[in-house]
Amino acid sequence: MKVLLVEDDRRLAQEIAQALRHENFAVDIAVNGEDGQHLGETEAYDAAVLDLGLPKVTGADVLRAWRKNGRNLPVLILTARDGWTDKVDGFKAGADDYLTKPVRVEELVLRLRALVRRSTGYAEPRIVCGPLAFDAQTGVFELNGLPLRLTALEWRVLACLTLRNNVVVERYDLIEKVYEGDAEADSNSIEVIVARLRRKIGHEMIETVRGRGYRLTFGAT
Amino acid sequence: MILRQASLNRRLLVGAGVFIALALVASAIMIDFVLHRFIQGQIDQRLDTQIVFLSSMLTVGEDGVVAIAGNADGPPFDRPAHGWYWEIVGPRNQLRSRSLAGATVDVSEFHRPPHGEHPAPAEGIGPGNEPLHFRIQQARTGGTQVIIVATAPRAAVRGPLREAMTTLAVSLAGLGLALIVAIVLQVRLGLRPLERLRRAVADVRTGRSDRVPAEQPLEILPLVSGLNGLLDQNAANLERARRHVANLAHGLKTPLATLAIALSEPGRGAAGELHALVVLMERRIRHHLARARAAALSGPTRARTPIATRLGDIANALGKFNADKRIVLTQSVPDGIAVACEQQDFDEMAGNLLENAFRWARGKVEVKARRDGGRSVAIVIEDDGPGLRPEQIPQVLRPGERIDESAPGFGFGLPITRELAELYGGETTLDISPLGGLRVTLRLPLAI
Repeated sequence: MKVLLVEDDRRLAQEIAQALRHENFAVDIAVNGEDGQHLGETEAYDAAVLDLGLPKVTGADVLRAWRKNGRNLPVLILTARDGWTDKVDGFKAGADDYLTKPVRVEELVLRLRALVRRSTGYAEPRIVCGPLAFDAQTGVFELNGLPLRLTALEWRVLACLTLRNNVVVERYDLIEKVYEGDAEADSNSIEVIVARLRRKIGHEMIETVRGRGYRLTFGAT
Repeated sequence: MILRQASLNRRLLVGAGVFIALALVASAIMIDFVLHRFIQGQIDQRLDTQIVFLSSMLTVGEDGVVAIAGNADGPPFDRPAHGWYWEIVGPRNQLRSRSLAGATVDVSEFHRPPHGEHPAPAEGIGPGNEPLHFRIQQARTGGTQVIIVATAPRAAVRGPLREAMTTLAVSLAGLGLALIVAIVLQVRLGLRPLERLRRAVADVRTGRSDRVPAEQPLEILPLVSGLNGLLDQNAANLERARRHVANLAHGLKTPLATLAIALSEPGRGAAGELHALVVLMERRIRHHLARARAAALSGPTRARTPIATRLGDIANALGKFNADKRIVLTQSVPDGIAVACEQQDFDEMAGNLLENAFRWARGKVEVKARRDGGRSVAIVIEDDGPGLRPEQIPQVLRPGERIDESAPGFGFGLPITRELAELYGGETTLDISPLGGLRVTLRLPLAI
């Protein structure tokens, strides 16, 4: 899961990013509205955390621009403005959720996971695919009822495949959702990660669609 | 000064009354003087004519005896003892009018004008001690020096004068009265803009209007402009103070957010405790921010917020916020109902109440609004959550940290809502909903 964080206070941005990475999220940071808007329009994100009081372009304008250009990624507004008028305006501009500073990391993570899950069409937090179960609320994978230990990169790939259960996920799409913007993405590394995942959850669970990407399946082959 | 504190009305009336009285008395004195002179002149002319008449009939014999040829006692000199007399004093004898009936008037002590001049006036008394007005002339007839005197009763002057002055006094008093009535009317009329101004200022104070209308008489216009300038300045100061408080609050929140997240990093043992402090700080900031906003309200304003769309927008936002709870919201708010509150404040009140309802509801939230009498609107928000025990109800309306800690969600939004509602002259009441949860009724003034 990859999140765009648009926050002009660099210290707060770093703290939030660190906390989110700790929860296996990949995080790109933009420190002003202009960069944020550009990143949101050109890169693929599972969700965005958007501050309202941003330099250059305000958060509400960024959000409106995204929605106008058909970017419908889930957006969580994280702001110091806690008045109801601001909240209503935020939702009207196209926000999916609204949290006020200071926020507990747990709350932010829970809400981000819920946003991503709902945006992929799952109403219930628990997603089951054969022996594999993903609790989208806690972010925990279980295999045959036992918790699965995964690295951050493995978790991101598996979460991405799980949320698009039975649908082919393009390779470049996976790369985009797994690596942060400034990371050097090795074209072979996805294969390496998938191979490690197959060893952990069973080879037959991840199907390779030649020339396109991967698909999470259960007992189809 | 008594007058400085007395009403303008009285000040103007007393001033005008004193002036009118002085002017009327002065004119009465003037008129009396002029009339006196006029009547006196008439009588003098009469007496002088008599003197001319007498001197034309006067003959002096060889022996210096004066005599009159013919009857010189035409009216009123024929009526005895009325004050109309004449007398001619010759060197040897004296001639008198019939009206003197043998008595005599003493002219010896009077100044006699030189020969040939106009008759001179004098005042004296007659044989019956009646006050008399004299005209005295010294004439020379055939080389003989004679003194001709004609008199009129002083009452002949005073009588007509008194009569004229009585009539005049009545009409002057009438004039004075009419003038005072005119001044009363004028003062009333003149002070009417002041009364209008007083009402306009009262409207500003009660919030029915935000400025004093600028259509004012020229004399009051500078005052009104000054007043409006002051009001604008006050509003600007208020807005600035609000903005400063908001900026301060928002400025504090970002470092606070950083702190909160840094505290929740793994490896910080006392994170829970410290995080509670962060939450407490955040609540205090929010509380005082809301208080600062609320305190800036000086009373009901002319603001008009249609509630149906606002409630819909807020409920929509809360629906998204509580997307996983799948709460069914029933809203029955007639279109066209508006409350006399600023939109931001209405959002705050309705948002806090709806947020509580959504937080505690198990599956149902109902929002209803209706006109409550002619002057207020009742907004009823209920949920099917656990509700409150009756003894908890007064507690949650009181702002207090203990309630914040014991029941998160309650005790925070409700006191702010109540405070705001009361500032607008409304109220918040809590009871048990037929749905099973809490029912909050928010009453706010109806916007006309």
